[in-house]
Amino acid sequence: MKNLKKIESSLETIKNDIKEFYDPKIWGFLTLNGVCIDIETTQIQWIFAKYKAIDEIVMFYVDVKLSQTVPTITDIIPSAIISQREIVDMFGINIEDSQKGLYLDEDSLSTPLAGCGI
Amino acid sequence: MKKTITIPLGSQHISLLEPVKFRFVCENEKIIDVSSDVGFVHRGIERACATKFTFEKIPYVVARICGLCAITHSLCYTQAVENLLDGEVSLKAKYLRILLVELDRIHSHMLCLSHVSENAGFEAMFMQIMGDREYVMSLQEMITGNRVQFDYISIGGVNRDIDTNISSQIKKNLTIIKQKVYDYIEQFENNWSLSLKYKNIGKLSLDMAYQYNAIGPLARACGLETDVRSESAYLPYVDVGYKMITRSNGDIYDRNMVRLYEILNSIQMCENIVDGLPSGEIYTKLKGKPNGESLVRLEAPRGELMYYIKGSGKPLLDRVRIKTPTFSSIPAFIEVFKGSDYGDAPAILASFDPCMSCTAK
Repeated sequence: MKNLKKIESSLETIKNDIKEFYDPKIWGFLTLNGVCIDIETTQIQWIFAKYKAIDEIVMFYVDVKLSQTVPTITDIIPSAIISQREIVDMFGINIEDSQKGLYLDEDSLSTPLAGCGI
Repeated sequence: MKKTITIPLGSQHISLLEPVKFRFVCENEKIIDVSSDVGFVHRGIERACATKFTFEKIPYVVARICGLCAITHSLCYTQAVENLLDGEVSLKAKYLRILLVELDRIHSHMLCLSHVSENAGFEAMFMQIMGDREYVMSLQEMITGNRVQFDYISIGGVNRDIDTNISSQIKKNLTIIKQKVYDYIEQFENNWSLSLKYKNIGKLSLDMAYQYNAIGPLARACGLETDVRSESAYLPYVDVGYKMITRSNGDIYDRNMVRLYEILNSIQMCENIVDGLPSGEIYTKLKGKPNGESLVRLEAPRGELMYYIKGSGKPLLDRVRIKTPTFSSIPAFIEVFKGSDYGDAPAILASFDPCMSCTAK
């Protein structure tokens, strides 16, 4: 897709990569996204858009196993907490400092997007 | 340590007729901490889009996410799919898409302004604006066939053209609304209930707006110049007279002013579209099935809406991700509440114009 720059990262380096990249006066943080790769693996994406630029989007991504824990970025981008908690509820991914229960009620179907929705 | 008291606002509250809950920790009248709960009516639309509906049907599914910005949802999704198909949407269809999106923005902003008036105790103004809003709703019904759930956008174009009768009715109604909006501006600038009472209340500073990634009128009211209409090339907004509206104080008053002047700019754009509508087809058959990733943003009435889709050449998509403006603004809302008086909380909430229907998609 034109103007979408994808940058692969790892669980060990993602926080540092975002810290080095992110300037809040240049980039707006859009959201955290999850894309199911297979029943065990979800790709977590951190998406940014540049202010005053035409469709300039940067996406960092890491493939995460269900047993792994994703570092939080709320100390860099406080507003990320809301999408981190959404990903926890929808995919069942562990994210540091992000509890379940923001988006889904206790009696809801849990992690509805995990395992490719199967 | 001072004594604190926790006061809930919601999940059902008179200032907002949708389910959202904020818990305010107050010291006397001052809010010192806030937590939120937004998950009351989650509908699983992202999952449904990836498991139940083929990509051609999804524009009609996502239009049901929200009654206020149905057009914006279906258009944002449609543009994301069109990125992955072969063919080009006609300029005429793009103009008609802007026309409907801007009509949507006009009536959505009017709804917000009416709720702000209601929270100020100005019931007559609330009824006045809600009544005037019908001029826009009737135009939408005339153009799309429906008052609320307009299935107007389709992959490849739009479903209906406008004829000369509709064009003249659009111009007639917009002229009426324009005059009404000038009257509202007079009221919102000079009436005590709507102006002085709301100055310096519910302020978001520019630094906080950057820090908390504020979007839409909330951001523009404190001087953050961000608007997807000027940051995306999918629709020819520059050609139809788009102008960014910003203020600098970031309070309820400035949010009202941003919305009022945005209505005027939207009316201007709609008039320009009707006057300069290009000739051509309204629909182009696009070929193929979505294969790959696509991410599209669109300026909804409350701010940036984002759709990410991933397909693998099959009728069912692998992923549809919907990022709605209210959901991503909640951290900024919480920061605005902190330090405010509890008595102002309902008015501040109404000035955010939150949409829980979009949030619980």
